[in-house]
Amino acid sequence: MHALIQGIILGILTAGVYALMASGQTLIFGIMKVVNLAQGAMVILGAYLAFQLFTSFGIDPFLAIPITTVALFVVGVLVQLLFLRPLRSDDRSELSLLVTFAVALLLEGIMSVIWSTSDRSINTHYANSSWTVFGYQITLVRLWAFLLSLFALGLLYLLLNRTRFGRAIRASVQNPESATLLGVQSERVSAIGFGLGAATAAAAGSVYGLLYPFNSGSHYDLISRLLSIVILGGLGSVGGAVIGALVISVSSAIVASAISPIWSEMTFFIVLLLVLLVRPRGLFGTAARGAI
Amino acid sequence: MSEPILVLRSVVAGYGAGDILKGVDLEVQPATVTCLIGPNGAGKSTVLKCVSGLLRPRQGSVTYRGDVIDPLSTRKRLSRGIVHVPQDRSLFPAMTVWDNLLMGGYAMKDQKEVRRRVEQAADTFPICRQRAHDHAGSLSGGEQKQVELARTLVLDPGLVLLDEPSIGLDPKSRTQVFASIRGLAEQGITVLLVEQNARSGLAASDIGAVLETGIVRLVDSGASLLTNPEVARLYLGGHATPAAATAATSAPGR
Ligand SMILES: Nc1ncnc2c1ncn2[C@@H]1O[C@H](COP(=O)(O)OP(=O)(O)OP(=O)(O)O)[C@@H](O)[C@H]1O
Ligand SMILES: [Mg+2]
Repeated sequence: MHALIQGIILGILTAGVYALMASGQTLIFGIMKVVNLAQGAMVILGAYLAFQLFTSFGIDPFLAIPITTVALFVVGVLVQLLFLRPLRSDDRSELSLLVTFAVALLLEGIMSVIWSTSDRSINTHYANSSWTVFGYQITLVRLWAFLLSLFALGLLYLLLNRTRFGRAIRASVQNPESATLLGVQSERVSAIGFGLGAATAAAAGSVYGLLYPFNSGSHYDLISRLLSIVILGGLGSVGGAVIGALVISVSSAIVASAISPIWSEMTFFIVLLLVLLVRPRGLFGTAARGAI
Repeated sequence: MSEPILVLRSVVAGYGAGDILKGVDLEVQPATVTCLIGPNGAGKSTVLKCVSGLLRPRQGSVTYRGDVIDPLSTRKRLSRGIVHVPQDRSLFPAMTVWDNLLMGGYAMKDQKEVRRRVEQAADTFPICRQRAHDHAGSLSGGEQKQVELARTLVLDPGLVLLDEPSIGLDPKSRTQVFASIRGLAEQGITVLLVEQNARSGLAASDIGAVLETGIVRLVDSGASLLTNPEVARLYLGGHATPAAATAATSAPGR
């Protein structure tokens, strides 16, 4: 029982970081109907940037987040303007799979050249500290990572729901033609939306680098998890991404502690298949074409 | 008659190969309601798209308040006061009614002014206040139309283009929508509308125009078109409205 609850705590804390990565991906899908296969690579790029800022300048990965998010925001905007905007709108969804996969490979190549392919990790002085609460161990890094993710998701929520630009994003998702007719410039919304998606990847990347060792190829594993989460939650729904992350992280943590860590890797995909059997459009699939 | 506010001159336009509009000529007088009728596929919606800028004519010109506006983007035309409400439901269904109204002023810089205009529009269309915090998608079709009209007011428009405003509405909501449209004209706003429901549309309009296969075949007062036997046979389900019944042109249709 103790191990189970410990597992659930771990799962919830981990879910925050995945929710943040996935929210960016689902936002991009909501705005452009583009499945961004480079989201994982962007997370890893964020992790490398945090790693570099830490090793070269001693900047704490949490404090590096404002820098890495701005950098990845720019990368995201450029990817949209250079590679996605030229695609014709009728076959953009299909072609964008290839394009974003190519971007992922390109980023992987660049990262291998700069940082080699060996594993890196960010070892801060607090990396191994933990608190014990009612007999349950809570790693400090994970707790901070979780709180930071909640904070970033909160900012994203406020941006989408309380600002003029956020209204424009939601409007273009819900009714592109009407949005255009009211003066929303969809290409600009797409570019900034893609930038925001990449920025969430950067924030999550700093944290990811603190939690796990990574290398330039880590994005393959990451993107398959992210896809599971956003499909589970219903593509295009940010709330769904958060729930999807929770369901998947908690269930694999439970499996790890109750059955075996070997099975927990697979839980991601087993849960996904089971949910899709019952709800083919994901948990929040009906919302996929409406809210984000 | 005063100077027309909107003039279409030999407008040719289409989507792929082939032209849909084959030389459309139309003049719209300020602060009037003009109704475009015609069979499905005649190109009625396409005419509105050429005015709002969703589609660029291949030949001919669109003039608004004396300026040729063809080179202008949708956004530029919007800032000149041309607002287009498209045929299908045009609200953002998962946004609140109030947020929908705020989007009506998206093209404006001054957000304070937007808020003031939204309040004003909500005074004209009370449903906006009653359901302010509900998702627009949860409103009935008629209520949604009221909100759409309210949203056009936020921009303080000079010309409102309405594509089939009465589609899918019950008779009572239809009456209400056409009354609101008359209200726009009384405020000095020019309305160009497209209507399947020719009888109600013409009854609420000052001028009617019949579009067939990309050409304007006939332009006359709404009242005269209602009594025109050929128009009646083709678009009013067989029989002309007796002249007496159309005396009050501005009475909303039934
Ligand atoms: N986006 C588009 N791409 C290609 N063809 C189109 C497009 N929109 C309309 N058309 C074609 O143009 C023609 C005229 O369409 P339009 O929508 O202007 O007709 P309409 O008079 O408004 O008809 P309805 O009464 O059915 O709304 C139709 O044959 C239609 O198939
Ligand atoms: Mg039409």
